[in-house]
Amino acid sequence: MAILSLQNVSKEYTSDRQSVRALDGVTLDVAGGEFVALVGRSGCGKSTLLHLAGVMDFPTSGTVGIEGQPTSDLSDAQQTLLRREKIGFVFQSFQLLHTLTVQENVELPLQLAGKAGARELAIERLQWVELDGLGARYPLQLSGGQMQRVAIARALAHSPRILLADEPTGNLDTTTGGMILELLLRLTREQKTATIVATHSLEATSVCDTLVKLRDGRVEEVTRR
Amino acid sequence: MRSRRLLFVFLLAWLPGAMAQYKTALPGYHYEFPRDHYNHEDFQTEWWYTTGNLVAADGRHYGYELTFFRQGVDRDPSKTGSWDIQDFYLAHLALSDLDGGRFYHAERTNRAGPGLAGIDGKEKRIWNGNWEIRWNAEEEALNAVGENVLLQFSLHSEKPPVIHGENGVSQKAAGAGRASHYISFTRLSTKGTISLAGKSVGVHGTSWMDHEFFTHSLGAEQVGWDWMSVQLEDDTELMLYQFRRKDGSTDPFSSGTYVNAQGKPVHLTAEDFQLVPTGETWTSGVTGANYPVAWSMEIPKLGLKLRATTRLKSQELASGNNIAPSYWEGAIAIAGTRGGASVQGAGYLEMTGYARTMEMGR
Amino acid sequence: MPRWKLFYRVMMRPLFREPVRLGLMVLAVGLGVAVVLAIELAGNAAAGSFHSSMESLAGDNDLEVVAWGGVPEALMGTLATLPYPLRISPRMEDFAVDTRTRETVPLIGLDLIAEGSRYASETDASNVNSKYKATLEKSVRDLENPESVWISASLGKRTGERISLLINDRVLDCVVRGVFPSTSGNEHAILMDIAGAQRALNRFGRVDRILIKLPANSTVEDWQKKLSSVLPPGVEVRLEGTGTEENRKMLAAFRWNLRLLSYIALVVGAFLIYSTISVSVVRRRSEIGIVRALGAERRDVLAAFLGEAACLGLAGALMGLPLGRIMAGGAVKLMAATVESLYVSSRPGAIALTPYSLALALLIGVGMAVVSALSPAREAMQVSPVDAMAQGRREYVARAHKGRDLAIAAVLAGLAALAAQMPAFRGKPFFGYLAAVLLIAAAAYAMPALVNFISRTAAGVLGKLFGVEAMLASRSLAASLRRTSVLVGALATAVAMMVSVGIMVGSFRQTVVSWMNHQLPADLYLRPAGNAASDRHPTISMELVETIAKLPGVAAVDRLRAYEISYDGMPATLASADLRVLRAYRESDFFSGRPTGEVLAELRGKNNIIVSEPFTYKHKVNTGDTITLSLGEARASFQIVDIYYDYASERGYILMDRDVLLKYLPDETPTNLAVFLVPDAKVAEVRKAIQEVAAGHRILIFSDRDLRTEAVRIFDRTFAITYALEAVAVVVGVMGIAGALIALVIDRRRELGLLRFLGASSGQIRKMILVEAGLLGLLANLAGFVLGYFLSLILVFVINKQSFGWTIRFHWPVAVLLGALTVVYAATLVSGLYPAWVAVRLNPLEVIHEE
Repeated sequence: MAILSLQNVSKEYTSDRQSVRALDGVTLDVAGGEFVALVGRSGCGKSTLLHLAGVMDFPTSGTVGIEGQPTSDLSDAQQTLLRREKIGFVFQSFQLLHTLTVQENVELPLQLAGKAGARELAIERLQWVELDGLGARYPLQLSGGQMQRVAIARALAHSPRILLADEPTGNLDTTTGGMILELLLRLTREQKTATIVATHSLEATSVCDTLVKLRDGRVEEVTRR
Repeated sequence: MRSRRLLFVFLLAWLPGAMAQYKTALPGYHYEFPRDHYNHEDFQTEWWYTTGNLVAADGRHYGYELTFFRQGVDRDPSKTGSWDIQDFYLAHLALSDLDGGRFYHAERTNRAGPGLAGIDGKEKRIWNGNWEIRWNAEEEALNAVGENVLLQFSLHSEKPPVIHGENGVSQKAAGAGRASHYISFTRLSTKGTISLAGKSVGVHGTSWMDHEFFTHSLGAEQVGWDWMSVQLEDDTELMLYQFRRKDGSTDPFSSGTYVNAQGKPVHLTAEDFQLVPTGETWTSGVTGANYPVAWSMEIPKLGLKLRATTRLKSQELASGNNIAPSYWEGAIAIAGTRGGASVQGAGYLEMTGYARTMEMGR
Repeated sequence: MPRWKLFYRVMMRPLFREPVRLGLMVLAVGLGVAVVLAIELAGNAAAGSFHSSMESLAGDNDLEVVAWGGVPEALMGTLATLPYPLRISPRMEDFAVDTRTRETVPLIGLDLIAEGSRYASETDASNVNSKYKATLEKSVRDLENPESVWISASLGKRTGERISLLINDRVLDCVVRGVFPSTSGNEHAILMDIAGAQRALNRFGRVDRILIKLPANSTVEDWQKKLSSVLPPGVEVRLEGTGTEENRKMLAAFRWNLRLLSYIALVVGAFLIYSTISVSVVRRRSEIGIVRALGAERRDVLAAFLGEAACLGLAGALMGLPLGRIMAGGAVKLMAATVESLYVSSRPGAIALTPYSLALALLIGVGMAVVSALSPAREAMQVSPVDAMAQGRREYVARAHKGRDLAIAAVLAGLAALAAQMPAFRGKPFFGYLAAVLLIAAAAYAMPALVNFISRTAAGVLGKLFGVEAMLASRSLAASLRRTSVLVGALATAVAMMVSVGIMVGSFRQTVVSWMNHQLPADLYLRPAGNAASDRHPTISMELVETIAKLPGVAAVDRLRAYEISYDGMPATLASADLRVLRAYRESDFFSGRPTGEVLAELRGKNNIIVSEPFTYKHKVNTGDTITLSLGEARASFQIVDIYYDYASERGYILMDRDVLLKYLPDETPTNLAVFLVPDAKVAEVRKAIQEVAAGHRILIFSDRDLRTEAVRIFDRTFAITYALEAVAVVVGVMGIAGALIALVIDRRRELGLLRFLGASSGQIRKMILVEAGLLGLLANLAGFVLGYFLSLILVFVINKQSFGWTIRFHWPVAVLLGALTVVYAATLVSGLYPAWVAVRLNPLEVIHEE
């Protein structure tokens, strides 16, 4: 059964009296342990799709369902709750808090959710991304690849069902980027997360289970392997 | 009889009915000197009036006037404060620079206050601020400090004081008490200093001093008067005054005194003399008053025919306000004949009631 | 021109994108400017008008003859008959209360005969006073009525109407004989003839002043000598208006202190400008880089940021002008009340916005802004093109040299301690102020270390107490250490001022209260009705005094008499008391610590005096010294046998035996009565009996308690303005916190957006911002409290002592301080509400991708 399910989803943005259709009738199901690569040109709707999937935004039409629950009729508090429970984000520019240590960065989602045992969980997550022992450091003391691993550890801190990554390799060199994709794939398999990675990287297309090509807000092609 | 101007117009107006507190001038008054040179507070009005014709070492001619007035205001014995007003003290100072064509005058008003003005027989002093008369034995000192003028004279009387009128009173109108006690020093040899705007000159000449005290006011029909003092070179003096009436006629209470070389006074009644303007006039630029500045006089019983002219027509004491009236008071030159023989002299002329006659009528 | 366009686009336009923050900054500067301006304007108005109508009606005189207790009026005759061309005018000068409006109005007695006729003969209509002279001229006619008065038009009565005046302890029903135009809108005056004035005031034989007009083009000094030589030794010939000058001088310290207090808000504002420009520099690092890469020179960048500051300053100053004018209206009332109860009768003049005051506002507004911006602008100048355009720009974390700064702070604090030991310079506590400034500077330098220490320490504690949001908040504050330090410094300065002034005033109040407990042992006190002022001494009729003394239940009546005098170029009060009565009852504390009875016994019948503490301070005299006083026409020497604490007035007090003073100034009427009752008498009954016998007099009767309450009320009113000044400084500080938090929110919007992605609720975001506000408030309160304590020591023991000469015993006004700190803390929390709202409203989708 699909953890994340998008049914005929459209999204329009209205800005300056101009309506822009960012997504247009997208239908996509992602199952647990499935690694979806989302490709397409800049502005084709990748980020919008991730935001909808991450309950940061609502579709104009169609349904986004998370484990069967549609997101549209949730209150702000319920959305927050859903995010805390089920969603993990990874960003292109890592988005770590420089004022916090690596350990604290990873603990953050747990603490925000008010969960106990954050410390132990964070240590475990750092082991997952093979950064054990670096918890006391500050993000600026790490390399780019290491920072993205911390970000991944943080995204997985609360054992989300859905892992969303927006150009996770965009700020990294090819080798490091490849390693990050490997890591994401491994964790997808291990944690049985429904993973969507928006990417330019060709590497991603080689490791993914499903390749979704977006063009002007529409799904142009879906390749399953 | 002079300068009643201020008193009637300015002062008496304030205190109607106050006269009851005072004595009036009645015949038979017993004069006693020097007592009677000083204050008579039982009478409402009193003045000491000195005028003179002087000449400086450089030949320049000057005339001067220094006058002290006292006007009784209130004799309420309960008013004992030092600033309480029993009398008003007024004083006038004028200096005529006859050759320079300049005329200076100043006035001041005070209450006695704590020594501001007064008459003190013990100290032999009459003063208003720093204007004063002070007797020292036979010498009379006159000192006055004005803004630009300083007078310091020493006066010596050549003749005993003259009491004008008849039986000790100089009658001014019909009725008992409508008269004054009127004393004059008719020939005071004068020497001293005049300072004008810081420059001092020594002067000498002859002065005339009137001292008069009374309690009465002008008759309703009297609008003004012309007064004249004359000091002739033959050591005789003459004083004449006449009232002008509303209808333009001369008041029968006009009178005069002739003083012979021995100092003996001869009373002159209105019938004894004629005093008429010769036609020459001067119009004041300040008050607009038209003054007859030349006069002729004739006293048949003395054989005198005199003309009075002035070297300086602008000797008007023009008041800058509507309280004190303006009048003309100035030095004059006298020329004429006595029984056909030529006689010269000098004197002072006072003309009142030419400016703003309506106030004079009060 | 292109440069200006560039400057506008790069530097100014971004400011307008944050209108609220911009508004807050301008408002903060504006408030600072407004307060300074208000105090300046109000000070001028309040101080510009002692007896002003007495001066403006004094005419064009050059010299005045004065003697303490009055000039014997016989000297009028002496002067008037001197052979010099002088104009001599006597004056009786006192006060009357218009019973309808209860206003105290100068009452001037002059010689209407001499002056009136003199004016009548002067024709110069161009003179300003010509209308007044014309009034005098007419007035001569109405002299026969002793109740005749001539009044200024401002009193609102017409000729022929009646005006009822309270003069000393009696009401006089007067007839308005004439009205003359007031020279300026609020200069009331009542004229009487000098004879009537003496009678109304029941003062005979002496006049208050004799004015002298000298001839044109003469040397004033020569005349002064010439005239002194004919006058008795106790009589002084001085420049006309010297009294006014002396009053100005006396007020100088008071105005100085208020003026300096008013600058606190400005200092707080300076901190904020510094903070704002620093933030600008940090934020626009890349813009600076771009502009530099496009060819702008370093000095252009410097000019741009200084320009930005100048614009803020200018906008603030422009806003501060009208605001200052409005505030001055309130301030002048408070100041005038203080001046009147502590110093000298004064009727506040009109508040005049002069070109000088406009220039002052612009100068302090722009100047303060530019000076505060210098350091950050120089930093901006150092930014290299490469530096700023480097990829992966990160939040620039300004390096804070905590260690070095702490060392500087220690040195400054040491200097402050040194400066506090220095004596007054020219009667002003310059070194005291210097010490205060140094201490504030030391605190500013110590702030980063403190903030760093506390916020880091707090992070753990707060995290445990208030959750992750608190941890995040404290971390974020610690991270932007410099910015935070400046903000905390600004608010802490305001708080410190509040605390220090609070402690000072509280100590003073406590000192006064405990002093009063010693000072006021009589059962009832009487003084003539009318508003009290420390230089007005209306008298009580003698027959009333005698009647009261004979009332059943009255054991003794202490007759006090006070005169306004001048000693050594400063106004002072000379008082005498019945020592027989005093010795029996009064308890008073002296420097020597000797019992009161022993000290007062030394005064009886001898030329011995005791003086108040402010007197010794003003005139540098001590116990055992001999001072010479002019009393009436005499000059006499008096030995100071002791000094007593006095907090009732800032002017110096000299107290002697009544019998001794009567020898020199034989006026028996007292100005105050202290009534002592027999042991079993009931105060209320005696009070009622006194009221009955005083029916024809206007007397105020105070019980011991009334007087205490009244004294405390006057005290509180006196210091109301200092509270107001502190409040404004705190408001500026709190506004600064709000503005800075908005900036912080905007700068950290990406982070805040991220937190939403990471599962933070909007409530958590709000809480985080509020915790930051609270933390800032806490830090500021803490730092401010410590700094304030040290400043209060300087205020109490250095500045106050050197300015006013009062010995104040230190006292913690716990309740007041707790209350004030709580209010400030609450205010900072409130100031976080708007930034928190802004933070919550941020769209995480937009901000997360911003670079």
